[in-house]
Amino acid sequence: MNPNDSDASRFKSATTDRRGERDLDLLLIHVARGDTEAFEAVYDRLVGPVYGVIRRVLRDPSQSEEVAQEVLLEVWRTAARFDPAVGGAATWVMTIAHRRAIDRVRSTTAAAGREHKTAEVHTPHDEVAEAVEASLDRERVRRCLDGLTDVQRESITLAYYGGYSYRQVSELLKVTLGAIKTRIRDGLIRMRDCLGVS
Amino acid sequence: MRFLRHDLHSLSGAYALDAIEAGPERDRFTRHLSRCQSCASEVRGFREVGTALAFAAAAEPPAELRTRVLAAAARTRQLPPEVSTHARPRRTRARVPWVPWLSGVVATASIVVAVLFGFAQAHTQDELNQVRAENQAISLLLSAPGAKLLTHEVTHGGVATVVLAADRHELAVVTTGLPALPPGQVYQLWLIGKPKIVSAGLLPAAKNGQTPAVLATGVVKGDTLGLTVEPAGGSAQPTTTPILALPLPV
Repeated sequence: MNPNDSDASRFKSATTDRRGERDLDLLLIHVARGDTEAFEAVYDRLVGPVYGVIRRVLRDPSQSEEVAQEVLLEVWRTAARFDPAVGGAATWVMTIAHRRAIDRVRSTTAAAGREHKTAEVHTPHDEVAEAVEASLDRERVRRCLDGLTDVQRESITLAYYGGYSYRQVSELLKVTLGAIKTRIRDGLIRMRDCLGVS
Repeated sequence: MRFLRHDLHSLSGAYALDAIEAGPERDRFTRHLSRCQSCASEVRGFREVGTALAFAAAAEPPAELRTRVLAAAARTRQLPPEVSTHARPRRTRARVPWVPWLSGVVATASIVVAVLFGFAQAHTQDELNQVRAENQAISLLLSAPGAKLLTHEVTHGGVATVVLAADRHELAVVTTGLPALPPGQVYQLWLIGKPKIVSAGLLPAAKNGQTPAVLATGVVKGDTLGLTVEPAGGSAQPTTTPILALPLPV
């Protein structure tokens, strides 16, 4: 069996299963009270997407591991700030993970410059396509991404997986700033409706 | 440079994807979010899309990461919850049919305040202390993780306030302003489930328009909290139309 299959089914529950979501919320509430077993359970449920998204943004495995560790530790440290009324636990954690990855990209590239990356501009969607196999989540996300216009899809994947700011996306795709903002927003609205998130 | 409102609003997508660089533009949008309810809820929805994108990118991390993270957690002190100092606007209670809100320690503190505030409106300090002493079980419920506060208007007048601790399968009910009943009648609480309806107890007589807290146990998924008027002593099953039917988010 492809190890990715078991990952996919393990991780799937957190986004597709309502009860799974609530369990995760509850686990995080217990984490806030210092429950280490609950933290282990949260780790096991979310480390795959946390590490995966950071890796997608940063590319470098050892940096990704370092940032993933920071993120998971932040989850432990700040669990009391999680508010289920505002959103689910998975989203709370993924928001931290993505933001940390982006912070790392922006602080590193502020010094190094980012021009060498322009050659990879066309790749994010291909990568998504490659990664879809055998995972329901991936399949669903791919299908929804396919329903977008090219500019919508490219700007969302460049921003989310590529870690580009919307100004950089505008530069790369040669589309005006105003249009990029709108494309990203319209694309996300379509994704939201397609994925059936509230 | 001044931003038109429309322009500002259209940043919600870029903001949710962390695609606005740190600086005045992001600060301005962050401030806007605190005032614009619809923008905030749009950003929340977009962040869920981000979550789906993250799950689609899930990858197996090196195995040592687990040991390292758990070890680091074991020696890291956790932050206490933020305690909100803002009073909840009173109109929320009147307008929103029921208000589920946050769980955890912050919520518990707020619920204690909210419920005691309710008591305080109707009781002297001595009576309040007595109520608190009599309701040891209720204080346990109030301190349960994940406890939620729900309020709902009752048909023909009054408001029911419920503290629900879903994982303890318990709830506490306080009512204010229910119409007084003629002699020979009582208010009875019910847990209305799919297969059956069970009594959750009679409401004690109101003092200054408020009924002391009633604790109900055995709350399960799918239950709705009901309130009916019954003959003195209560009934085995409801005999009148419920004047409250509050679905419980268990």
